[in-house]
Amino acid sequence: MSDLSRRNLFKLGAGIVGGACAASALAQVEQPAEAEARSTLATTLPYPRTKLANLKELSTGKDLLRTYPDKFSPIGLLKLGRRAVNGVGPDQDIVAFSRYCPHMGGTLSYQSETGAYHCPLHYAMFDAAKGGLIVIGQATDNLPQLELEVDAKGDIYAVGVKGLIYGRQANVLA
Amino acid sequence: MSTTHHGEDRVPVPPSDAQQFTTVCSYCIVGCGYRVFKWPQGKEGGPRPHQNALHADFTKQQAERSGKWISPSMHSVVTERDGRRYHVVVLPDSDCVVNNGNHSIRGGTHGSVLYGPDRPTADRLSYPLMYRGGTQLPTTWEEAIELGAHVIKACVDTWGPDAIAMKFFDHGGGGGGFENNWAVGKFFFTGIGTQMASIHNRPAYNSEVFASGDAGVAALPAAYIDAELADTIVVIGANSYETQSIYFLEHMLPNLSGMTMAKKQRLLPGEPHQPGKMIIVDPRRTSTVAIAESAAGKNNVLHLQINNGTDIALLNALSRIVFEQGWQDQAFIANRTDNFDAFKAKNLTQDLDDAVHITGIAKDQLMKAAEWIAKPKTDTARRRAMVLYEKGLIWGLKNYENVASVVDLALLTGNLGKPGAGCGRLGGHQEGYSRPGYPGKRPPVNVDEVAIKGGASKVFWVGGCNPVGGTLNAQHFRLSIARRTALVNEALNQVTGATTQEKVTAILKAVEAGGLFLIVQDIYPIETAKHAHLVLPAAQWGEMNLTSINGERRLRLYQKFMDAPGVAEPDWKIMAMMAKKIESLYRAEGKIDMANRFAGFDWKTDEDVFRAAAVGVKDAQEDYGETTYAMLRTLGTNGVQTPVKEIANGSPVGTTRLYEEGGKFTFIPASWPGFPPQIQQLINDPRYPFWVNNGRANHGWQTLYDDLRKPYVIGREPLPYVEVHPRDAEILGISNGDLTELFNPYGTVTAMAVITDANRPGHVFMLFEHPRGWLNSLTTDYVDPATTIPYYKGTKAGIRKVGELPGITDTLTFVPTNRV
Repeated sequence: MSDLSRRNLFKLGAGIVGGACAASALAQVEQPAEAEARSTLATTLPYPRTKLANLKELSTGKDLLRTYPDKFSPIGLLKLGRRAVNGVGPDQDIVAFSRYCPHMGGTLSYQSETGAYHCPLHYAMFDAAKGGLIVIGQATDNLPQLELEVDAKGDIYAVGVKGLIYGRQANVLA
Repeated sequence: MSTTHHGEDRVPVPPSDAQQFTTVCSYCIVGCGYRVFKWPQGKEGGPRPHQNALHADFTKQQAERSGKWISPSMHSVVTERDGRRYHVVVLPDSDCVVNNGNHSIRGGTHGSVLYGPDRPTADRLSYPLMYRGGTQLPTTWEEAIELGAHVIKACVDTWGPDAIAMKFFDHGGGGGGFENNWAVGKFFFTGIGTQMASIHNRPAYNSEVFASGDAGVAALPAAYIDAELADTIVVIGANSYETQSIYFLEHMLPNLSGMTMAKKQRLLPGEPHQPGKMIIVDPRRTSTVAIAESAAGKNNVLHLQINNGTDIALLNALSRIVFEQGWQDQAFIANRTDNFDAFKAKNLTQDLDDAVHITGIAKDQLMKAAEWIAKPKTDTARRRAMVLYEKGLIWGLKNYENVASVVDLALLTGNLGKPGAGCGRLGGHQEGYSRPGYPGKRPPVNVDEVAIKGGASKVFWVGGCNPVGGTLNAQHFRLSIARRTALVNEALNQVTGATTQEKVTAILKAVEAGGLFLIVQDIYPIETAKHAHLVLPAAQWGEMNLTSINGERRLRLYQKFMDAPGVAEPDWKIMAMMAKKIESLYRAEGKIDMANRFAGFDWKTDEDVFRAAAVGVKDAQEDYGETTYAMLRTLGTNGVQTPVKEIANGSPVGTTRLYEEGGKFTFIPASWPGFPPQIQQLINDPRYPFWVNNGRANHGWQTLYDDLRKPYVIGREPLPYVEVHPRDAEILGISNGDLTELFNPYGTVTAMAVITDANRPGHVFMLFEHPRGWLNSLTTDYVDPATTIPYYKGTKAGIRKVGELPGITDTLTFVPTNRV
């Protein structure tokens, strides 16, 4: 299990899952202090730090099509116009996701009417405001979300990916 | 506020020498094929094709639908009984004709719920528990079986076989299969001989399709390829994208989008073909409706948004239109059916204006539906319609007539025993039923009412189900269980350090005074188990070999690939342990007749039970004849479709679809009966203005027993939800995510509001089974008196806002699921 997912498991135990069975089982796995100390970027993979765009290039409700961590992995960079889970930028509303569906690799498109990424293959939907949470569909994970940083000039950098990108053994190819 | 689950960003790949197994999904009826890879921890395959068992090149991005991508949810590390740890990957099988490498969210996450002492499945039951010292404490199989056998025997001896009640799985897939079902049936029917038996999801021991059986139509007559060939697919009371996902995606949708045209022309020459049309009967505009429209075009999908409980009026109206237009299959009716006149007198007298009023469906829609089902394509080519139904109909207003009216429509239009046709269940669980005959009568006794609430039984053995929430009128059932089991607790609390004999004496006194001795056999410490005096740990899918059939009767071997936790055992072995103990107690008393009833449980292997169970499926749709595990191992994930006709060259020869070579059928008269008193009372009471429909959702499986331990899945729906129309939400003053209370005279439950226009105003939809809020607290105690099947799908309730849980709901999604 990567450090990245250890952190997420811990957070689930403390937050979303919240139920007797799952939470108690998870609590045995993770010591809160240990888990909390981990950086959000803890991973065994050598992610590149890649500039995706500048804040000025973004317009609300439309995604910029880029690639990360390499040119074979399409991503969407999006300013939602409302606060988003894991959002960055002055309004914490900028997010980025893999555009490969974590079901069978269909190429997703963003629809502003739903605020979700949609898959044309088997109709999966992922909520861009909620960390790529699955709305409905047959994927076996939420949509992989990029870790973003914004510098003083307003340049937006991708520095990692949470969740496994479809079609890969590891997000950074061997 | 970041709490969205994401899996690992890297998975290990199986090395070339990884052990390989074949299996089938443990969950829904569709039964997708899977391959399992297992190899020791500390080892890993390399990224190049010659370095891994998938022969995949992981140095490159794979194309879409590669069939070789391992998602984090498909992998885990398991610990065997000897302490050795292994990687296990459960990967959808591209060579299986059911799923072609596709998978649902449910089956695709099997890797997450394999047992691991260091993972969310750590709470699997791994040793027996016995009520002792005011709580449930670990014990041995010997002590648990000793106490259970003595209590059961004493109750049978004192009050007769009906003193023992049971509610058990009867299905295929995980926790079931022919092996476990046979042992359960042999114990309770041949051994005990009790009538107080009930099936996991209902209060009695019954078929859910008695009417279809009476008509001569087996529940699963068609094949999945028929959905690729049909002119029209009729889906009644099912949300197939979410509940038979891969049947819908791999076999129905390709037909709707025209991708099976070449196959139609090749297999059915000499008649005109078009892309398929779909009719969906559902009070809710589901994701299935939206997706079907997207694939087929809106003009080729007809959503009949029916009023709750009015299916019979709808189906009879369709039959009447078909008959009035002269679209019936006269040759089929003449040659292969009887009782047409009785059907005509009852079903075909359904007044069409009344039907419009009762069902809420406009006449032009009724006409269009009848046309799509039955208007001949040419003078010589009849339309091929598949008429498929599931719980919306089965668990509707009146089970017997509901099912009768749909089978009648199929008989009228000749849609049986030919390609692109068929009338049967879409299915919930897989099937794997084989048991000695039930000793009770038909209609069967209502076990919930008579044995449990009514007190007629003294022992209740629950296996693989969670009835304190899953059964109808669940609040009353739950309270009755709590009250009665507490009497036994009190008796046991008085006898610390007692011998088994002393305990049995105390328990017998308590059950005589109204108490209930509860045995729960499961894989997890479920809610029902909290009240139990004995908790027996069962093995799960993957921890034993089992066999089952899917919705097209496809029989396969689900191979064992790992150990069960601790001392957990397959259900058949647990039944055998108990039977052997009871047998020995009777033999010691010289009661040879009784002892003999519990004899014959000496199986050594899973396959021994599979072979023993063959007698129970003789001449049924499941008949697998002389098939062996070795034959099934060779046939892998494609298996063979039952009934097996013969064994040729060491391999079973199956049956693609039933009734191609004959079969006579009987029309079963049915007319819409109106609402029963319990429902009418709610309709008349302004305190309960909302119709409460309910069902499963895509993300979860049944009572969510596995899903509670899948962080990804339970992160999507940590609480049960209720869909409320925006207009009603405004009146009630509730918004997305608000906690609401639903209540009626039968009970009360809380649920999280989801505001959507999927249901009509005045109608809400609640998730059927969620351990954090059981919908069934609201269902009435009404059952169809002809079948003892409940009207689960319809009740009425009042709704009020409780408040908000922002820390939970801020990270959840409220995007409507019926968008594409």
